Amino acid sequence: MLLLSLAWVVLGVVIGGLALGARLLPAAWKLNEERRKWLIMPGLSAGAALLGGWLGTLIWGRLFGTPTALWVAVLVVALGPWLFLRLRARIQRA
Amino acid sequence: MAAQEQENLDSISSVSPAVPPLGVAPATAPGNGATAPTRKRLRGLGKWVARVTLAAVLLLGFFLSVVPLGRATTRAAILVPGLLSATQPAPLVVAGEEISHTSITISAQNGPVFLDVYAPTSAPALVPGSREAVVMVPGVGDNRTDPQLINLSESLARAGIVAVEMTTPALIGFNITPADTDAIVQAVLFASHLPGVNPAHVGIVGFSGGSVMACRAAADPRIRDQVAFITLFGSWFNAANVLRDFGQRSVTVDGQTQPFHPYATAIKVMATIVAGTLPPAESTKLLTALAPGGEPLQHPEQELPSPGAAAAYHLLAGDDPTHADANIAALSPALKDLLTALSPSDFLDQIHTPIYLLHDHNDPAIPSVESGDFAAALTQMGHKHDFVEFGIFHHTEITSGFGLGPLLADGSQLYRILTKVASAGA
Repeated sequence: MLLLSLAWVVLGVVIGGLALGARLLPAAWKLNEERRKWLIMPGLSAGAALLGGWLGTLIWGRLFGTPTALWVAVLVVALGPWLFLRLRARIQRA
Repeated sequence: MAAQEQENLDSISSVSPAVPPLGVAPATAPGNGATAPTRKRLRGLGKWVARVTLAAVLLLGFFLSVVPLGRATTRAAILVPGLLSATQPAPLVVAGEEISHTSITISAQNGPVFLDVYAPTSAPALVPGSREAVVMVPGVGDNRTDPQLINLSESLARAGIVAVEMTTPALIGFNITPADTDAIVQAVLFASHLPGVNPAHVGIVGFSGGSVMACRAAADPRIRDQVAFITLFGSWFNAANVLRDFGQRSVTVDGQTQPFHPYATAIKVMATIVAGTLPPAESTKLLTALAPGGEPLQHPEQELPSPGAAAAYHLLAGDDPTHADANIAALSPALKDLLTALSPSDFLDQIHTPIYLLHDHNDPAIPSVESGDFAAALTQMGHKHDFVEFGIFHHTEITSGFGLGPLLADGSQLYRILTKVASAGA
C-alpha cells in the first residue's frame, strides 16, 4: 500500500499542476509569501488524492483506489477554493 | 461583503502569478519574438486544455470506480494486458489485491475433485460487499502447473475475483465423461460458500473439453438458476459433428469445405471417449493404434469386432473420409448416447445463464464452426450470449509473434468478454 499511496500522491501533484494551468487558484488567497502560493494546489491535490485513494480502497476495493484518487483530487481542486471562499465570506458576514 | 465575495470568486480563474499582468506585458517576449496577443491566446488555450483534461479525469475516474459497469471495465482493462502477455504487468501487481493460493480436495460422486483456490487475502470492499468467483475447468490433462492458467487465476484474484481451478482424475486422464458433472457442481457449490463470495455471482469458465462439462454443470437443476454466466473457450456444440469432421478431415464453413487436421491431443480425447464404450481389449487396441507414433490397424473390422468400433476407428484415424456419414450412422447406440450426453446442443434449453463463446479461428482441436453453430442456436433461442473468434490463440493458449494489429483487434474482443464476465460481481 505504501507504493500505491506514493503513486496517489504523485498523481495528486500532477493534477495540482493541471489545476494551476487551468487557473483554478484563487487570487484572493492571501499568503505571506507569493512563492508559497504555488504549493497550494499540488499540496491540496496530493492530500485529496491520498485521501481519495484510501477511501476508494475501503469502499470499492484496492483496484479502484487509483481512479477514486483521481476524481477526488480533481473535485477538491475544482470545488475546494470555491467552497473555501464562500465559507470565508459567510464567516466574515456573520 | 457580498461584493468582496463576488470579486474573490471571479478571481479564481483570472490570475496567474508567474506571468506579469496582461496589461503591462511587453509587446514582444524577450528572446522568442512572440507578441503579447499570441502569448495571451496560448495561455488561454493552455487554460482550457487543462480544464478539459481535468474534467475528463474527473468523469473517467468517477465512472471507473463508482459506476458498476465502470468497475467491470476497470477490471477487464487491467486483466487484458496480463492475459495477452501471459504475465502479470506491474500495474496489476501494484494496484491489485494481495492474493493467496490454496490446494484443496473435495469429494464428488465420481471421486475426488482437485481444487486450486486463488483468492484476495483482504475482506471484500464495502461496495458491493461481496466477491465474484469463477470456477475454471481447464480441460483434459493435468493443467494445474500450466503457467498461463496460473497467470490467469492469479490475475483474476488480483483483480478481486476468486478463481477456483478444478480438475478430476478423469479429466487428468484425458477423459470427458458425464459422470464428472457432479464434480463441477460441487466445485461451484464450494466456491459459492467461500468467505466473502456472493453465491449468485459465481460463474464457470470452461476451456476445450472442460467447456462441455461447464455446460453440463450449468444445466444441472441444483445450480442452473444460480450460475451467473458460463464462458466457453474452444468448445464443441455437437460431439457427433466434431467426430464427423475428424472423419472427413475437413469442415464446411459457409458452404465451403476447408481442410481440418486435428492435432494428436484432440484425437486422444475423442479416442478415450470412444474407448470407454468398448470392451477392454478393443479399447486398448484402439488407443494404442491412435496414439502418436502408434501403428495403424491393418484390418479394423477384424481387430475391433464390437458393433460400431471399426466405424469409430475410421472416423478417428481419418482413413475413410468419404464414408464419414456412414461411419457416424454405424456407431454403437452406447457411443451415440454418450456423444449426445456430451453435446450442449442436446441440453441447451436447460441452461439458463448467459453464455460467452470464445474460439480460435484456426483451432486445430475443435473446429471454430462449432462455436459458430452454438452462437447461431443461442440467437435462434433468444438466449443471452456473445461470441468472439480470435487469431492470436492456439486452441486456448495465447501465442506469440503476432503484430500489433491482431493483438489490438483480438485484445479488444477479449476485453469485451472480460467486461461481461467482470460485470457479474461489480
